[in-house]
Amino acid sequence: METTIIPKQRMLVAKLTGEIDHHSASEIRYALEREYKRTGTLNIALDFGRVTFMDSAGIGMILGRYKTVKAMGGNIIIYDVSDQVKRILEMAGIGNIAIITDTLRDAIIKLEGSMR
Amino acid sequence: MNNEFTIEFISNSENERLARTLCSVFLLPLDPTLDELSEIKTAVSEAVTNAVIHGYKGGQGIIKFKGILCGDTVTYIISDFGQGIADIDKAREPLYSGSSDEERSGMGFSIMEAFTDEMVVESGVGEGTTVILKKRFGCDGR
Repeated sequence: METTIIPKQRMLVAKLTGEIDHHSASEIRYALEREYKRTGTLNIALDFGRVTFMDSAGIGMILGRYKTVKAMGGNIIIYDVSDQVKRILEMAGIGNIAIITDTLRDAIIKLEGSMR
Repeated sequence: MNNEFTIEFISNSENERLARTLCSVFLLPLDPTLDELSEIKTAVSEAVTNAVIHGYKGGQGIIKFKGILCGDTVTYIISDFGQGIADIDKAREPLYSGSSDEERSGMGFSIMEAFTDEMVVESGVGEGTTVILKKRFGCDGR
C-alpha cells in the first residue's frame, strides 16, 4: 500500500491495490492505523482505482477507520471505485458516513465545502 | 453443460482467494456477465470467510468446496466441520456479527442472499456449517 500526504487538508491518501477480502483487510487496517498515527493527519482518503474486488471484509475495514478518524474529528474519503465495489458500499450505506467521489479533487472540494 | 468438482483446503485466509478464483473459472462455460461474475464471486468469498473466521475461529480445519454445473445453473457448496451456528436465524440477520474481536460488518449472509438466487444454511453446534449457494445464468433476457 502506497501512501502520500496532502498537508493542506491534513489528509493521508492511501492507494489500495488488488483484492480486499478478510485476508488483505487486516494488513490494510494495520498499515493505515500505523501511518495515521505516525503522520498525525486528520482525514483518510482511500484510492480504490486499482482495487479489483471487495467483499464485506472491506466494509468492516472502512467502518473501523471511520471510528478512528471520527474520534479525531476527521473524515473518510473514498474515490475512483469500480461498479462492483460501489454496489457493496451502497448495500452497507457507506455513503452516509464517508465522502464518496470519482476523483480526489472532487473529494477535496466537497471536504472544504463541508468545513466551511 | 454438466460438470462437477470437489476440493478441500485448510482454513487459511489466503484460501479465500483460491476459492474465488476457482469459482470464476468453473462457471466460465456459462458465459457470465461481469456483474454476474462479481456477484457469485462475492457470495463465495463471504461463505468461505465465514468458515475461516466463525467455523474454526482462526484455528486450522478443513473447508470443503464443491461446485455443480447443471444446465444454466451453478451450485456452490461450502462446508466446514467447525463449531457450527447455534441460532441460524439470528446469524442471518443483517448487521449481526458473531465475532467481536475482528472488524466485521455483519453483512456476509445479506450479501450471499442478495447475490444468489437461492441460499441455504445448514448448521448444528459442534457439527459444522454448510452453505449452499445457487445461481442461474443468462436468464436476464440477454
